Amino acid sequence: MSASRSPASAEGSRPSTNTSRLASLDRSRAVRFNFDWQELEAAPGETIAVALLAAGVSSLRTTSKKGEPRGLFCNMGVCFDCLVEVDGHANQRACQTIVRAGMQVRTQRGHGYTDVAPELGE
Amino acid sequence: MIPRRVVIVGAGPAGMSAALVLAEAGLRPTVLDENPRPGGQIFRQPPEGSAAAQAPPKDATAQHGAELVKRFAAAGARIELMNLTSVWAIFPERRLAIGHREGWQVVAPEQLVLATGAYEYTPPFPGWTLPGVMTPGGAQSLVKTWSVRPGKSAVVAGSGPFLLIVAAQLAAAGVDVRAVVELARQSEFLRQTPRLLSSPGLLFEGAGMLRKLRDAGIPMLWGHVVCAAQGENGALRSVSVAPCNQDGEPERTRARTIEVDTLAIGYGFVPRIELAQLAGCELEFRDDLGGWIPKTNSEGESSVPKVWVVGDGGGVSGSVVAELEGELAGLAIAERLGCLDSATVARRKHPLLARLAKLRRFRLALDTVYRIRPGIARLAAKDTLVCRCEELTCEEADKAVGFGGNDFRTLKVMSRLGMGPCQGRMCWPAMMRRIADRTGHSMEHIGPSRFRPPVRPTTVGDLLQLIPFEDHPEPAGASARGAR
Repeated sequence: MSASRSPASAEGSRPSTNTSRLASLDRSRAVRFNFDWQELEAAPGETIAVALLAAGVSSLRTTSKKGEPRGLFCNMGVCFDCLVEVDGHANQRACQTIVRAGMQVRTQRGHGYTDVAPELGE
Repeated sequence: MIPRRVVIVGAGPAGMSAALVLAEAGLRPTVLDENPRPGGQIFRQPPEGSAAAQAPPKDATAQHGAELVKRFAAAGARIELMNLTSVWAIFPERRLAIGHREGWQVVAPEQLVLATGAYEYTPPFPGWTLPGVMTPGGAQSLVKTWSVRPGKSAVVAGSGPFLLIVAAQLAAAGVDVRAVVELARQSEFLRQTPRLLSSPGLLFEGAGMLRKLRDAGIPMLWGHVVCAAQGENGALRSVSVAPCNQDGEPERTRARTIEVDTLAIGYGFVPRIELAQLAGCELEFRDDLGGWIPKTNSEGESSVPKVWVVGDGGGVSGSVVAELEGELAGLAIAERLGCLDSATVARRKHPLLARLAKLRRFRLALDTVYRIRPGIARLAAKDTLVCRCEELTCEEADKAVGFGGNDFRTLKVMSRLGMGPCQGRMCWPAMMRRIADRTGHSMEHIGPSRFRPPVRPTTVGDLLQLIPFEDHPEPAGASARGAR
């Protein structure tokens, strides 16, 4: 699988409206954040991994050597497989990071920073 | 450097019960925990105000956990709780480097209790890195804590009674659970019934879970393993399930394919020993307790005086045992510090020790049924990754083993195995067994993994911010930092 640089590349799973929430999201309390240039909503106190899964996203990064997709594995902060970029910081554990309003979350490619390089130059 | 009398690392059942005993004895212990709210992995609390937080506890364990968390919260003023706080190093004389969002500090307690818990053991097999493959605990937390289904359909696999709980919870959440795949054989389970009757309550609980699965129409495949997972477009598509022999070797020709988007797979738990290792505690290998564990006396004190290890982090025995162990260590520490007299401690210790002995008999039977079998170390194919972080294949790792990489440090230098951010937590429990299987070396010869500080992710920026400790900790229950 090739790790394309284009933001909305085919990574297996993209945000969809097909929700896997047990209870529907209370829109009035929802926290809005951005994932790969798409607006998504999370419940208050929810982790990035959970909010993305609820939006139908299971692949969170591609690996540096083989470009393979990885997703949530241990869901308790031990395995470091769910790494994403958060507000320009690479290697953030999606399962341990709570969504904040306006957060910019990106699929991490390899060791990260490829797509946020311009922001780092600010 | 901040002095403290007692610091407890981990606010799971063991840490909470130790803290409660110490608080009651008037010691005001400090409890450090990485999560936004206390409870640990087993009694993890849903975010405040969520639907799951308002739902009543679903079973006896959850009910008990909710009560323990409530008692812990009620002791708020007598316990100094620092949540979202990690210990990333332990230096000599129990000096802990602790860090959280605002920076770091060194805390030096007179007595240190490590109640760090355990994580799941998932040895490598073809396809295990696909998104959609996760640990049973990871899948459970999604439905139980977060009210989100991991997928539409699932296979729950591995070994141990925990699989039954996870399968039932996934099914109750509306996930189509196609099978529970259990390495152990039913005949062995039945053979252990007399010993399991030492704790009839727990045995009936298990029987009840099996009945629940049968009523839900979920096939229970004893003596089977998942030998491979297949993906499509970067996500799990199906799993191959085959019957296995006594050693856990699958008969691949009899494998069948089950189409699912989720595989929850784990073969029991591994104690989190990195802090005990950094504290210099002597270790021993106990396959029945999850691998390498710190040696302790009957009260939980390790080979390093004033460092105590309780709960699953000292050997995997479950939350009931963890809570008793926490209480026991709490009593011993309170006595040591002169806050409880020895007669009171002796009187309170006695029933705890008796209950522990009884639970150990039950546990011994379970450990026999659900033991790790050597075949599980052979499931990986040549090109299967053994080290998920460094993307090291089985063939590459085996080659390094062939050249003498028979212990963690040597293998790490030779192959980069364990050099990634998980620091060997995910790969070494499987790799050490694979080395034993291939070379015939004893586990004592192969040894445990080695951790170096920082054992938690720490940025250079974090190190520049020494927090003024007086402003911390916030009062117990303050989880505002997590919601920010």
